[in-house]
Amino acid sequence: MKTLIVIPAFNEADNLKKLLPEILALNSHDLLIVDDFSQDDTAKTVKAHGIPCLSLPDQLGAWGATQTGIRYALANGYDHVLTMDADGQHLPQEVDTLIRQKNKHNNVIIGTFPKRLSRLKKLAWGFFKALTLIKIQDLTSGFRLYDQQAMTVLSGRQASMLDYQDVGVLLLLLRSGLTIEEVAVKMENRNDGKSRVFSSWLVVIKYMIQTTTLCIANFGVKKAK
Amino acid sequence: MTNIVILVIGALLSVTIFYMVRKDKMHGPFATWWLMVALATIILAAFPQWVDVVASQIGIVYPPTLILVLAVSLILIKMLTMDMALTRKERKIRRLTQRMAIIENKLDQVIQKNN
Repeated sequence: MKTLIVIPAFNEADNLKKLLPEILALNSHDLLIVDDFSQDDTAKTVKAHGIPCLSLPDQLGAWGATQTGIRYALANGYDHVLTMDADGQHLPQEVDTLIRQKNKHNNVIIGTFPKRLSRLKKLAWGFFKALTLIKIQDLTSGFRLYDQQAMTVLSGRQASMLDYQDVGVLLLLLRSGLTIEEVAVKMENRNDGKSRVFSSWLVVIKYMIQTTTLCIANFGVKKAK
Repeated sequence: MTNIVILVIGALLSVTIFYMVRKDKMHGPFATWWLMVALATIILAAFPQWVDVVASQIGIVYPPTLILVLAVSLILIKMLTMDMALTRKERKIRRLTQRMAIIENKLDQVIQKNN
């Protein structure tokens, strides 16, 4: 099992300074940072640690950056990709929890920490789950392990038009007949990074409308386990 | 009089399209669409009685309504296909952006190795 840890990063130089040494100390997996057109020293920080860094020449958002990492992994012969956030929310010591959960019968493992949900998020996700019949607790968790089948699906052209990595990505995986499993992990509160989705009311409304459209357009997709 | 105005609009439109193609400001498929619009305008100016005939055939009492309905429908179709084209472009740009980052990384590696 050749696993690549992909971390999308937008203006995360400070958080990465803390996170990168922790990951390097704990894990033997290869690491890749995808710099989503940051304005700070993200790329420089990463390179100073001797870690490969892909610098996007234009901003693609968290999912676009993650997909870049998945395409890189496929091109370089990795058979698993593990994604985590740069803001320190996902703990390096939990990486193995995800990898241990992986077996022949599942394709995607999502690290879930249900306690972190605010009431607003619970409401929003309850709504999306009802719409899509997805049986996954944590729709937006970016702490995920994808196997080669999932990577192939997600590196495709279809996945390039997704704007957020949550519902759209999950629906695409389910539609492709892949199995998604969840595992409980510990998570840290966000250091100083803000949620990109739940940052302002306007963004929330835009997100809700776009995701609702996506859900309705995908009506009738198979249920998750 | 109305016919002459419509004819002038059609003629102006065709001249503008040809001028834009000449100056490289519009390319193939778009020029074709707009020339078709200009042509339709000119035909309409030449034979306005067709509108009355067609309208009465399909039971429209006030013939100009037919033109308006057709015009609005065509504009809607055009806008929909424009958004579809934009989506295709967006997909291409996103994938090229990703590819560029991957290739740039590889290039850096090769250059470093050679040094």
